[in-house]
Amino acid sequence: METARLNEIVESYPTPTGKILGILEQVQREDGYLQKDVLKTLAEKLEVPLSELYSIATFYSFFTLEKLGRHVVTVCMGTACHVRGAPALADTLKALLKVEEDETTQDGKFQLTTADNDFTVTSARCFGACSMAPVLRVDNKIFGYMTPERIPAVLKQFGWEEDTHQNA
Amino acid sequence: MTIQITINGNPCSSEAGESVLTIARREGVEIPAFCHDETLAPYGACRMCLVDVVSGPKKGVTTACTLQAMDGLEIITDTPEILRLRKVLLELYLAQAPKSKTIKALAAQHGIKKTRFAKKVHPEDPLQGQCILCGLCVRVCRDIMGAGAISYIGRGQFTEINTPFYEENDACLGCGACAQVCPTQAIAFEDITGTRVMKSWSETKVPLKQCAACGNYFAPVPFTAYAYEKLDPAIRDEIRDLCPDCRRKEMTRKAILLRAEGVGR
Repeated sequence: METARLNEIVESYPTPTGKILGILEQVQREDGYLQKDVLKTLAEKLEVPLSELYSIATFYSFFTLEKLGRHVVTVCMGTACHVRGAPALADTLKALLKVEEDETTQDGKFQLTTADNDFTVTSARCFGACSMAPVLRVDNKIFGYMTPERIPAVLKQFGWEEDTHQNA
Repeated sequence: MTIQITINGNPCSSEAGESVLTIARREGVEIPAFCHDETLAPYGACRMCLVDVVSGPKKGVTTACTLQAMDGLEIITDTPEILRLRKVLLELYLAQAPKSKTIKALAAQHGIKKTRFAKKVHPEDPLQGQCILCGLCVRVCRDIMGAGAISYIGRGQFTEINTPFYEENDACLGCGACAQVCPTQAIAFEDITGTRVMKSWSETKVPLKQCAACGNYFAPVPFTAYAYEKLDPAIRDEIRDLCPDCRRKEMTRKAILLRAEGVGR
């Protein structure tokens, strides 16, 4: 994000308090993630410690510190989806998109982005769509009653091609 | 305004609005607490100071640190319910900080040797499996020292305290106030010839200041800058760059010279 744009966002908030979340949200919407440099600049501008911004950014699952792919595929790992086969969906996605598992954090969450930056696979706790478990979300579209067999068809809607990825 | 409150049946007088934990401790009533420090605002995080309000506007179990004294307030610090709750808390703390001697000792005092909960075991934990997340270090660094070098990271059972991005943080003054207030001695730092290494804070390195007279390293450079900033300029000029030992010698020498004036050196 350009510094000028960041200034604009900061200045759009007249009150000194309660603006951090709003600013971070706007930055995330425009950049797709919170860049380290942007957080550092912001800490100086708002005169809050960088540690506080980092704390907020890691507290809310809405924020991400890593660049996401153009499409975000979220596997619901809620109880209903889990018992109806969500882990198999996650494994299939990882295999099809050829992303490695080494980034899984201790809480079992993962956020994996393909080398060409087209897709990010991640997990969520519950979408509240348990009646059509297991569910998958691509960007803002929900796909219910998912099976590993149906995943390639879903991905193709978002520009995924089996062969190019295999050669890549 | 002086008011009367009753702790375990004994009347005590105090100022209105004073923390009940402060009053109890002043009166010699022992209430355990991990997250309380008189220099900081009450926080109510550790839950160890739970007491039972038997007479007051809101009866029931509450934290003594955040409870403000008012006339006629009556509390009991050791009801069976309080002791039961405290035991559960200690079990939770044994799981959160399985390596902490402080926690183990207090748990043993309450007859707790084991925990029902899954122990947190991370071999490379920079806080050595001793952090109970009381937040004292975070608050002293931010609110007292004004540095804000560390904060909570993540949330829930995965919450940790460290520097942002787990990187060396130049906001750290190297003052060691965090280690000083830590109730479980979880925070480690080491002075290695001219550099203070904050081992628990992503190995943040802070240069140490050399004494102008003896050449010994005596305090972190950013911390001395912070301290000098607060001093009266006259005193600042007098002590600048001298270690406490040399400062003492210097002062004594001056005092002696002053007395011996006229006698000659």
